[in-house]
Amino acid sequence: MAANENFKGEVLRLAGQEVLTCIQCGTCSASCPTAHLMNPSIRRLVKLCLEGKKEEALRNETIWLCTSCQLCTVRCPRGIRPKAVVAALKELAEQEKVKGKDQAYEELFQKQIKDFGRIAETPLSGEFLLVFPQGALQSLEMGLELVPKGKINLGVEKIKGREEVKRIMEELCKG
Amino acid sequence: MKLAYYPGCVSRSTGKEMDVSTRAVCAALGIALQELEDWNCCGATHVPNELVSIGLAARNMAQTDLPIMTSCSICYSNLRSASLAMEDPEVRAKVNAVLTKKYSGAKIRHALDVILEVLEKNDELIKVPLKDLKVAPYYGCLLTRPKGGIDQPEFPTILEKLIKTLAAEPLDFRLKTFCCGGPIFMPQEKAADDIAFLILKEAKKAGAEVIVTVCPLCHLMLDAKQKALEQKHKEKIGIPVMYVTQLVGIALGLGPDELGLQMNAVSPMPVVEKIYERLTKEA
Repeated sequence: MAANENFKGEVLRLAGQEVLTCIQCGTCSASCPTAHLMNPSIRRLVKLCLEGKKEEALRNETIWLCTSCQLCTVRCPRGIRPKAVVAALKELAEQEKVKGKDQAYEELFQKQIKDFGRIAETPLSGEFLLVFPQGALQSLEMGLELVPKGKINLGVEKIKGREEVKRIMEELCKG
Repeated sequence: MKLAYYPGCVSRSTGKEMDVSTRAVCAALGIALQELEDWNCCGATHVPNELVSIGLAARNMAQTDLPIMTSCSICYSNLRSASLAMEDPEVRAKVNAVLTKKYSGAKIRHALDVILEVLEKNDELIKVPLKDLKVAPYYGCLLTRPKGGIDQPEFPTILEKLIKTLAAEPLDFRLKTFCCGGPIFMPQEKAADDIAFLILKEAKKAGAEVIVTVCPLCHLMLDAKQKALEQKHKEKIGIPVMYVTQLVGIALGLGPDELGLQMNAVSPMPVVEKIYERLTKEA
């Protein structure tokens, strides 16, 4: 029980205390562009957090189907940011070492920022394919469009302020 | 007008024509852009920790005293969210504690809004009116979110206003602020494809000759993926997708090379030819 309360507290700390005021109206689910693929729905996900059901809340596809479009957040009649609840769960999933392709993509993305200060899309896609080879067909299809147009850049740009960026990422995640 | 310019990471690869056309249009409109010193990635939609995300944006904002303009909706949304969050003294203190140059306030502008402001005052700059061109105004999601930015978060009209200023016809486009799926297209291909195709089909139904996008991820989903989506769904779309800056550039009389039109996957050249044909016919 204590662990569950602790989980709920962490979600509220990261996503805002107003999550407690959720009336389960489902406006968030009805607004979500990927709702048709979600189980649990975003509404149900918020409920799982409030019930402290950590495992169910962290281990599902829903949090990775969120596109961060913020329509739920624009529309919520209680001023809750369901998108921030998802972000909180992504962060907690990272701490709990939940593994999967989506988690891997976020990690690779953040590692590039930490190492270079910027994103180099082609190397990022390459690294991701090592983790998720099933994505190769899509990358090939896109490569066929982008390469002839000169829009694939194999190089990596490193900024001068890399130490500062690393500090931002390492220090500020402590809260 | 002099502004600091934040190109964003995609300007170096998949969104090159966004950067090229932004610079060309601003030069033609007399807007001087100074690229932000040693800028870093804004984190896009892949940094779940809010304080880290604010910190990444704040480092960029602390590099200049000028208002900052960007063409990317995601960068715009992130910089704006961070500037709002930095109003909280506690957040500002925490973030400034790790920044080398301290943040002391910033004004964030989107290229769309800057361009419209200049064009409304100087409509003689429109050399090639885009008469009768049917344009689907596609905003995507983050340009207008969180609320309080360039326009209303759900029913914005600024893009239609710009399209009308160019003498083109903005279509009634039902899915104009519906997300394109771009942020998850790598790990969640099916989900992203479903929504991107829905948007393309809607544009076709509306009778669009061209779809205009603001965000580089929307552009990638609707333009670079269009052929693959057509094959997957066995339905022809065949609509060119232009960045708003490319469309403005055509109306300013800039050439295809100056606007990076050869970099679009679905060639916009037939539409450009049609625009000039209509213009000659009228003359």
